[in-house]
Amino acid sequence: MHEDDSGVTKKRTLQLPSMSVPLSSHEMGEVELSCLAYAKMYLHASQFPRCSVNGLLLSSSAAGGAVCITDCVPLLHTHLSLAPITQLALTQVDVWCSQTQQRIVGYYQANACASDSSPTPCALKIAEKIFEQCNNAVLLMIDGEKMFPGCRVPPIVMYERKDARWALKDKHTIMLRQWEETCSIVNQLFSSGDQALLVDFDSHLDDITKDWTNQKLNAKIMELVSPANGNV
Amino acid sequence: MRDKLRKWREENFRNSEQIVDVGEELINEHASKLGDDIWIIYEQVMIAALDCSRDDLAWSCLQELKRQFPDSHRVKRLAGMRLEALERYEDANKLYDSILQDDPTNTAARKRKISILRAQGKSSEAIRELNEYLEQFVGDQEAWHELSELYINEHDYAKAAFCLEELMMTNPHNHLYCEQYGEVKYTQGGLENLELARKYFAQALKLNNRNMRALFGLYMMAGRGKKENKCSVKAVEEMLESMQITMS
Repeated sequence: MHEDDSGVTKKRTLQLPSMSVPLSSHEMGEVELSCLAYAKMYLHASQFPRCSVNGLLLSSSAAGGAVCITDCVPLLHTHLSLAPITQLALTQVDVWCSQTQQRIVGYYQANACASDSSPTPCALKIAEKIFEQCNNAVLLMIDGEKMFPGCRVPPIVMYERKDARWALKDKHTIMLRQWEETCSIVNQLFSSGDQALLVDFDSHLDDITKDWTNQKLNAKIMELVSPANGNV
Repeated sequence: MRDKLRKWREENFRNSEQIVDVGEELINEHASKLGDDIWIIYEQVMIAALDCSRDDLAWSCLQELKRQFPDSHRVKRLAGMRLEALERYEDANKLYDSILQDDPTNTAARKRKISILRAQGKSSEAIRELNEYLEQFVGDQEAWHELSELYINEHDYAKAAFCLEELMMTNPHNHLYCEQYGEVKYTQGGLENLELARKYFAQALKLNNRNMRALFGLYMMAGRGKKENKCSVKAVEEMLESMQITMS
């Protein structure tokens, strides 16, 4: 029994424990983030701690149903808000995606100022452009303050398009399979020095022989992913 | 090892992890052989240590410098930087203010105060302070470049272009400034600006024909239909052929 503000006592209704039914992974609004995509984003943000960095999120699964982010392409670490290189990168990634049966399904950004993980106008603009082609596109901001060893929460804030604006996504619709394993893979990459293998589009422009699709790093990461995981 | 540190110092590299590795070993094991060089090495290692969150190392370097140069403004500024690294911005500002009271022309202290504003995300105040600084110290290239970066982040492309124009006037052979100017003009859009962008990308390539950003910039302008631009496409294709670029 408890009293509410009006002084009238109310009987507390007994609540039956609801049977928790696992969501089927093809529920609308769900987003799954693979180990590969997460690891490369994390490495990208760590490689340039003093700069804002951004990149594109890709999916190799068919449109419709849940969004499975299977890979990412790190783009820039300088002048994120200047148009020409961003346009160039978007075009090149688009072409590569059509050749490799992938789609651009989102955008990620990590701000230079670690305490501020809110999307910048530039992030919103690029996310809009992606939304024009993919109606369940996501905008992912990396939360710099949570990027320390031993942090138990993924340093990620995700936004989705709702009612003509970008709104925070419900955390329960974001799936990061095998979170502990992903963390340990990232740590292994740092201790083996392989994190230096990451190439973003900016680095590719500085040295055109570098591969912005990161085939070598992808292979290393997939080696570390346990086979029992299956499609991570 | 000394030579490595000297090279990094002279070329202003910010490879802090390497500097800490090499510098720490040098200081701990070979201090006696360094002579007077040791003080500048302490300074270099201290700044790198702050970058890597190695407050222990930064503190010990600072102590050595304080002992040797007790009233130095240069050392005071390093103490201020350490406070900044610990996010004790109020204390750091007080320190810089005391330097400026003694010596109002101390540019280092003023620049640190502006950096604090930047670190706190106060871009408009940082821009205002930097503008005031540049009114007094018109020749400070570093400051003009910092200001152009701040304006680009704030999407104020016209003012960013102005800063880059200042830099290009004093550094006409710097292909990076030409190329950045082209990018800003491209972003501004509009016929006149796009025309200027094309010219500056071309100029950047003239100064350094391996500047890929300028090359791509020029290539992207080429799809715009005008006759001059068809020549640009041909020029770009010839350049790519002559460079014979292959992906690794």
